[in-house]
Amino acid sequence: MRPPEKVGRMKFVKAVALSIFVASLAAFAAAQSGGELRFCLRSEPKTFDPLKVEDDASVAIRYLTGGVLVRMNRQTQVLEPELAQSWKVSKDGKQITFKLRSGISFSDGTPFSAEDVAYTVQQLMDPNLHSPTGDAFRSGPGNVETKIISPTQISITFPAPVAGLDRQFDQVAILSAHSPKKEMAVLGPFMVADYQPGSTVLLKRNPNYWKRDAQGRQLPYLDSIRLDIQPNRDVELLRFKRGEIDLINSLDSEYFDKLGAASPQLVHDAGPSLDSEQMWFDQVSKAPIASYKKTWFRSPAFRRAISQAINRDDLSRIVFRGHAQPAIGPVSSANKFWFNAKLKPQTYSPDSALKALQSEGFRLENGTLKDKDGNAVEFSLITNAGNKYRERMAAMIQDDLQKIGVRVNVVTLDFPSLIERMTQTFDYEAILLGLTNVGLDPNEQMNVWLSSSENHQWNPQEKAPETAWEAEIDQLMRAQASSADPRKRKEAFDQVQEIVVEQAPFIYLVNRNALSAVAASVHGASPVILAPQTYWNIESLSVH
Amino acid sequence: MNETPQAGVLLSMRLSVRYGDRPDVLRDVQVNIRRGEVLGLVGQSGSGKSTLAMAVLGLLDRKQASAEGSIVCEGRDLLRLREKEFRALRGRKLALVLQSPLSALNPALKIRTQLKEAWRAHASGTPADCNNAVRLALESVTLPSTDDFLRKYPSQMSVGQAQRVLIAMAVMHRPALLIADEATSALDIITQAEILTLFRQLNRSTGMAILYISHDLASVGGICDRIAILHQGQIVELGTTEQVLTTPQHEYTRRLMAAMPKIPQPQISPQEKTEAAAAK
Amino acid sequence: MRSWHGRVWRRVASIVLLLVVGVSLSANWLAPEGYARQYREAASAPPSRQHWLGTDEIGRDRLARVLYGTRISLLLAPAAALLSTLMAALIGGLAGYLGGAWARVAMAVTDLFLSLPWLFLLITVRAMMPLNVSPMISVLVTFLLLGLLGWTTASRVLCATAGSLRNADFVQQARASGVPDARLFWVHVVPNLKPVLYAQFWISIPAFILSEANLGILGLGVTEPTPSWGSLLRELEGVISIGEEPWKFVPLVLLVIVVTSFQLVLSDQEQVAA
Repeated sequence: MRPPEKVGRMKFVKAVALSIFVASLAAFAAAQSGGELRFCLRSEPKTFDPLKVEDDASVAIRYLTGGVLVRMNRQTQVLEPELAQSWKVSKDGKQITFKLRSGISFSDGTPFSAEDVAYTVQQLMDPNLHSPTGDAFRSGPGNVETKIISPTQISITFPAPVAGLDRQFDQVAILSAHSPKKEMAVLGPFMVADYQPGSTVLLKRNPNYWKRDAQGRQLPYLDSIRLDIQPNRDVELLRFKRGEIDLINSLDSEYFDKLGAASPQLVHDAGPSLDSEQMWFDQVSKAPIASYKKTWFRSPAFRRAISQAINRDDLSRIVFRGHAQPAIGPVSSANKFWFNAKLKPQTYSPDSALKALQSEGFRLENGTLKDKDGNAVEFSLITNAGNKYRERMAAMIQDDLQKIGVRVNVVTLDFPSLIERMTQTFDYEAILLGLTNVGLDPNEQMNVWLSSSENHQWNPQEKAPETAWEAEIDQLMRAQASSADPRKRKEAFDQVQEIVVEQAPFIYLVNRNALSAVAASVHGASPVILAPQTYWNIESLSVH
Repeated sequence: MNETPQAGVLLSMRLSVRYGDRPDVLRDVQVNIRRGEVLGLVGQSGSGKSTLAMAVLGLLDRKQASAEGSIVCEGRDLLRLREKEFRALRGRKLALVLQSPLSALNPALKIRTQLKEAWRAHASGTPADCNNAVRLALESVTLPSTDDFLRKYPSQMSVGQAQRVLIAMAVMHRPALLIADEATSALDIITQAEILTLFRQLNRSTGMAILYISHDLASVGGICDRIAILHQGQIVELGTTEQVLTTPQHEYTRRLMAAMPKIPQPQISPQEKTEAAAAK
Repeated sequence: MRSWHGRVWRRVASIVLLLVVGVSLSANWLAPEGYARQYREAASAPPSRQHWLGTDEIGRDRLARVLYGTRISLLLAPAAALLSTLMAALIGGLAGYLGGAWARVAMAVTDLFLSLPWLFLLITVRAMMPLNVSPMISVLVTFLLLGLLGWTTASRVLCATAGSLRNADFVQQARASGVPDARLFWVHVVPNLKPVLYAQFWISIPAFILSEANLGILGLGVTEPTPSWGSLLRELEGVISIGEEPWKFVPLVLLVIVVTSFQLVLSDQEQVAA
């Protein structure tokens, strides 16, 4: 320290030194508990406006910066209060009332109240904004009404019942009605501090974040998050190995094994995820394919037999190196509430598949399966080019079906051509693709199961259900959507799952496991199967 | 300068040639070539000698050159012939020997192939017929017809040998007219003399006429029966070798004479000339 | 003529080539189980007594795939190279030889071909192809396509070379001998284009083998389960270091050896032609 030259100033100097010391002590403590977390975004974020979010990178930033009324706990899959202390959905499913927390401010200091919620909802539902998040709320024509009951209470009424209304608010980051910083004023744990297009997004902790840990310490622990924009997964892995980034959110099974071989404590297999790999036959009546093939594809017995002849265990074990589970039905067993536990795993049995086919008039001649008119059973299976897992699955399915005399021609197509065939021309026989499931609730799959829907992939936009079982699915899906009773809904959706397994319009193959990597320096991480797998509990992560 | 058509005339031309819009390269050139004679065509570079040769062979670039007049050969006007008819004459009635033997032979082909190609252009028959023709042609230019020799590429021969191969190709079908365009200019003096002798012998033994084109009055003097002097696209003098060399009429001819190097040339004796005439 | 060194290398290269061809032709005997058999209990296995080069990701014997893949690529890549070379000779050479408007039109077509967005074109071609195509047909179509498209660069060079030959003395001399035009071109002009043609041919082989691998990524190449060098090379995608699984590099090493040998064997003829 400097020598006391002038006694008169000593006290002052001491006082200054002390305050500097205290300040640096506080900073030290913060540094110890906080630090900077680094990971990669796989694409450029398209927007920082939470209402316009559509792409994965923007979803990630919204998760880290946006404050929401309710949040679905990614681990327990239960909806939890956030900015709303409590909420209530009306019986008709049209109205939701929130009781808000008080004394909360946005990152720029603007106080938060029911007005902000009303403003956000109005913006969200503004038809001119075309908010993708808002689409989930648009269940019928008419305007949404917001009623501010008090600064901490608000009710929102939609013109028609919205399926799973409360859960939908997990995606709605509240905007400030008054802040001059517009959408850059946030209620979440972090705020965007710097953005270098093509390179990095830097997030800093929100000094006004409302949440505290059990010890009463303000969250989040981290000081900042550096998001590097890096589309190349090889580079991402390499940077992780070098210690330049701390997390990898979804790892390839091949990389998982490579990384795990060297340092098993860094990789996490959280078990089967919601994502499924599936194949289906073209059942579109106007599809430009041979009519005898259409007859096969529209036969449930044929579809079931094909399903039975595919060795799902081998697909999981070999293609995904054990980091996948044979799929049981349309809902992954990872979906704790909605999965129909009565469904049994699909059995692999080429013999019974062949028997079933023979009872349908098919016969095996010199190793080639023929239908009753003598047509050799042969179909093309298309998948997207460049996805080695799907290419390998296709090669294995080809080999499996060879055993029951079915010839499969594997065709890999670029994605746009595949989508064109799948949705426009219907010029295909069978497709092998994956389906990424984000939501847990069956309402989010309405567009897949309703026979009138565009995404009813095996036969989209049916004017009226073409089969009895499709009609039944339509009816059950509508019934569950219009009910607010979770038990009744579950019952209906369980039935849907049983029908889908029985009729096999989609032949579900495997559910990939959620694989991630977390650096040893990251504390508090506990990866889960739901996105964002590694940083869902971002508030309680720290790096040292 | 004008010659009246007469008996024994092989080819009678009256020719103007122009390239594009530029002035005429040949202006109303009138020459008769008699059967069995050796006619020298002398002029400096650019005087139009090669154009005349190409016109007779129908090898003027038709898109760029326009020829007027007529070249009458055996009752047919060559300028009016269709390409297919002309092709039948080239190599059979009319033959060409170019200046530089090494570039006039295809570097990528063996001698045998080139000779065979020349034969096949106008003859058909068994491989034995072909081999026989090739052998005869080579013998006529005093070249060996061994397999070893036939397997050679042009780059593996001397210039003199190459020139003989070219001549062998040209005389293979016993043409009525052989056009030698600067055929000896690229040769050293000794080889030149040999080739000139060869020309003279072929002329005598087969009776083919030779249009011997050269810039070198001296070499022309040694072989030709008659000489035509071409100057700026026109024939300025035409007469027997003796006339032209001893009593040049035109100013330009006199200048050419004056420029002649005074070195000994293989002179053909008057006796030989009479023998040649008798052969006709 | 040739140096002693050259001769030895040439002999070594020919022996290597004969060996590779011979071994690949005896694939049926060396790998009787075939290239498609999936040993699912031994997927991604390292070399063993049963699988000399280990197995691939879904348990297929790598040696069998290399042998059969060699047979396919070694037969078809040179065939495609020959096709593209002939097309280059015909289009570029003939245009250059004929000159004038012909040359201008041919070069315009060549430029057009060079400037086409191939990626999209190939994708379109794939989209138009029927889906139920047997793997063998897909192999043939792929290489046919490569052969039909690979002529452009060489065509430019050939056009210029042939253009300079058009008025060469020896062509004029042959013309004066009454050689017909078509024969003039094939017998007198084309042999003089040999160095360029040889170069085109030898460059095309490895280029086509690699292109076939790339086409596979577009969904255009050889389809499952048929192996080709291209699909074998794709296995190397994402392999981070040679040290970990060196046996995976066998197809690459083989490609390098074969292409080098081809070049050594034919460099001799090329020089005579030059």
